[in-house]
Amino acid sequence: MVTQSATATTSAQDARVEQKIQKLRELYADAPEIGRAALEKGLPMLTEELAAAPRSQTAGRIGLRQGKVSELIVFLPFVKGGAKRLRSFLQLLEGNFRAADAVGTVHDMRFVFVDNDTKLLFATAYDGDFDAYIEDFAAKIPNAMDLWLSNCEGYPGMRNPSAAKDWIANHQIAAEAWYVNSPNLTAAETRRLEHVGKAFEEFLDKVG
Amino acid sequence: MNANLNPVPVSKPPQGANEKVEQLRKLFADAPQLGRTALENVLHELRSDSSETPPPPVESAGRIGSRLDKVSELTIIVPLAPGGAKRLRAFLRLLNGNLKRGGDLVGTLHNMRFVFFDNDTRLLFATAYDGEWDAYIDDFVAKIPDYLDIIDSAWDGWPGIRDPGAKDYLAKHQITAEGWYVAHPDLTVAETARLKRIGKAVDELLDKIGN
Repeated sequence: MVTQSATATTSAQDARVEQKIQKLRELYADAPEIGRAALEKGLPMLTEELAAAPRSQTAGRIGLRQGKVSELIVFLPFVKGGAKRLRSFLQLLEGNFRAADAVGTVHDMRFVFVDNDTKLLFATAYDGDFDAYIEDFAAKIPNAMDLWLSNCEGYPGMRNPSAAKDWIANHQIAAEAWYVNSPNLTAAETRRLEHVGKAFEEFLDKVG
Repeated sequence: MNANLNPVPVSKPPQGANEKVEQLRKLFADAPQLGRTALENVLHELRSDSSETPPPPVESAGRIGSRLDKVSELTIIVPLAPGGAKRLRAFLRLLNGNLKRGGDLVGTLHNMRFVFFDNDTRLLFATAYDGEWDAYIDDFVAKIPDYLDIIDSAWDGWPGIRDPGAKDYLAKHQITAEGWYVAHPDLTVAETARLKRIGKAVDELLDKIGN
């Protein structure tokens, strides 16, 4: 019985994957030659992913999440003079943001000036849900946030977290696909593993 | 200055803390009120920060992009070919946004995202990865060329990953981040994997001792 239902599940799954492959072929029928050729060669590798259960989840209000790690990207129009000020500010800090260590849930964060310095692209990888993340910023580094984002139009300030969240969500665009190499590691868990790794090396040294 | 082979995109000669504070004040003199207040609030922190041993500077990832210690950033914005957005979005949705197998195969990739914007006329491709730009692109070419071409064939003017012009195309559309933060800049993907194994082994060991 168990074997039978397992077989039934497998064949249902195979049929589903087959359908998806069919769709992909239709989709790429009018793609450039590079894309069509790549699809045919890449299909064996894709089969596994097509069969896998959905992995991308939502980060709450907006954005994607993989396991414990979420993504956020916003395009923020600069106020007049804002791009010049933020750039000089970042240069004075030599591109460094120690302040973000205090947040504790940030994996990475980038500031990119786009469209001839008319917009700031801010992109980050972080732990958990959108609301909690912005609240972390508001609670822990409101001044740093204000220094960065006061250069952008309409920024209400981090001392008004609810308005700041609305403002960010309004400018955010959810990713269509999101990959994380270690989706089950929060920033805090990574810190713990670093400690464990260090203690382990010391232990081995002592044994040796 | 160090005899540095790589250009450093954003760093400047070391300056005294007071000098920096003065520059910041000037910079924010005509900032919105929020920014001016925030600056005064943090000036003492910045003063102590800049007088301490500085953290590792943000450096160049090689041809283009920023790197903090071992982890680099790549941010690419490309125009989409006619029909490209529709095809790529449908492709990513068929995968349920799941790029696990392809991403894992690269071996040097921390994270990666695809974002459509400007009414589907442009695509943002942003990744965090280990080490140097050239080696990273070579990893993609060596390990998942077809996977990449299935995606990139939606990009306007994409020559194909096996084409000698592929790297030039990528570099041309890449914009170097002017600020780049990584929580664990000393951890490569491989080192993280090793730490996970050690963590597991230590937990098992402790369990055995406890029994």
